[in-house]
Amino acid sequence: MTPKNNIIIGIIIALLVVASYNVDANPVDFVEGLPNLGVVLEEMVSVEPKYIPTALWAMFETIQMAFIGTTVGVAIALPLSMFAARNLNSKYVYAPIRALLAAIRTFPSILWAILFVIMVGLGPFAGVLAIIMYTIGFVAKLQYEAIETIDSDPMDAVSSIGVSKWQLIRYVVIPESASHLLSQMLYMFDYNVRQTSILGLVGAGGIGFYIINYIKFFEYGKAAIFMVVVLVAVLVIDWVSVKIRDKYIIKSQHGMEVTAKSK
Amino acid sequence: MIQIQMTKNPSFSLISTNKIIQMNDVWTSYDSKNFALEGINMSIDRGTNYAIAGQSGSGKSTLLKLMNGMMIPSKGTIKIDYVTPNMNNKKFKKMMHSIGYIPQSLGLVRNSTVLENILIGSLPRLNKIQSLFKKFPEPEIQEAKKIISQVGLSGKEDRKAYMLSGGEKRRVAIARALMQKPTILLADEIVSELDHVTAREIMDLIADAQKRMNLTAIMVHHDMQLALEYANRVAVIKEGQKILEIGVEGETIVDFQTGDMSTEEIMEMYADDTQK
Repeated sequence: MTPKNNIIIGIIIALLVVASYNVDANPVDFVEGLPNLGVVLEEMVSVEPKYIPTALWAMFETIQMAFIGTTVGVAIALPLSMFAARNLNSKYVYAPIRALLAAIRTFPSILWAILFVIMVGLGPFAGVLAIIMYTIGFVAKLQYEAIETIDSDPMDAVSSIGVSKWQLIRYVVIPESASHLLSQMLYMFDYNVRQTSILGLVGAGGIGFYIINYIKFFEYGKAAIFMVVVLVAVLVIDWVSVKIRDKYIIKSQHGMEVTAKSK
Repeated sequence: MIQIQMTKNPSFSLISTNKIIQMNDVWTSYDSKNFALEGINMSIDRGTNYAIAGQSGSGKSTLLKLMNGMMIPSKGTIKIDYVTPNMNNKKFKKMMHSIGYIPQSLGLVRNSTVLENILIGSLPRLNKIQSLFKKFPEPEIQEAKKIISQVGLSGKEDRKAYMLSGGEKRRVAIARALMQKPTILLADEIVSELDHVTAREIMDLIADAQKRMNLTAIMVHHDMQLALEYANRVAVIKEGQKILEIGVEGETIVDFQTGDMSTEEIMEMYADDTQK
């Protein structure tokens, strides 16, 4: 350990202390607050089971919102990513598209949700629109980056045949980047389910709407039940997407044979 | 074993007006200081099976990229059928489909099937809009299937390209080029990584197509033996310069033109190559 490193570590610790003091982050409060968790657990156990179907239905609504948001968002993001890829377009095309996408990404989904609640009123539709915007911003970026890393050999070989740009996209770019796109769709859906779960906080529908209302009325037990449903749903979706990824993406990326059934 | 009979009769060198490719004092550089090619002169007759041989880094692949317009020379002129190959040249763009190019990496679309890869060769002559929906006219599909059987891939039409062996991948790349109905076929070290048996099968395949379709085939090799065995003419490139061009008939070298190197030096180099 050099003296220079010691100084750097010292500075980081000092900054940590100062920042914690400024934002009132006190570890003692955390430890003292732990027993409150017990109170929540106790309330959870005493919640009547009749709330569980409501929670499941709210979760189902959330998943549907995420599904629409992801699908429509990807459908819009895909053509945008083709225009934003540097290896397919001139600067005059990709630069403005990239700027637009960067602007879309600066808003977190919850801010989009607030904007759409103002526009179309309270309810799930505002949430769906927010998820679409968020998905466009991110998937288009991930996808144009994927397109830019496509192996240039098939692009060069097929371009030299004299095909049009859209034929090149259809026959080389899309097939070569398809596994990336599938991977991003799965990730985005997974992420959007979690996002949609909190959009209810601003009145944009989904399970978050119930959670925030129970919290407002100090019914922590019920809120916690709904939160557990979110946790389980997200874990299940995560598990399913890992399975899909293993089956279709990992193998094709490593050039292994993709078999329909395991041998 | 190929016999070398040097006929020092200059009248034997082919002089023809039927030149499909002409290069005049061509220089290229990847940066401003180092030249990949230094003053190449080359003229290739229509219907020739032409080989370009030389060691790695000698500038062989650069020559092919100049011929299909992917690179432009920093100095000198190239004409393919009297047109300058350059992707921005409208006249050349119209004839690009008639130049089949097989890069060393083959350039197959890994996630597409054999049939889809081969049909790509027909894209320039199809309706631009229709082709975006993967709708191929029936005659094109029949043509592709005919070529698939010619290159020995029958029954593998629906295999994805990444599932194929090295030899099969090369067959697909050749089939894609043939699907273009080309007049010129450019192939860059297409058999260099294959075993001897497969390499000869692939070379026979190209030789057959070349004769059948009266193609001008220009193939880059680093194996001099293979070049002499299959080509009518062999140009040897060393450090960006053409040091030698030979005409071959059967197993006899009928024409021998040297560049800046002395005959002794070339014979020495040739002896080195054959001993490999």
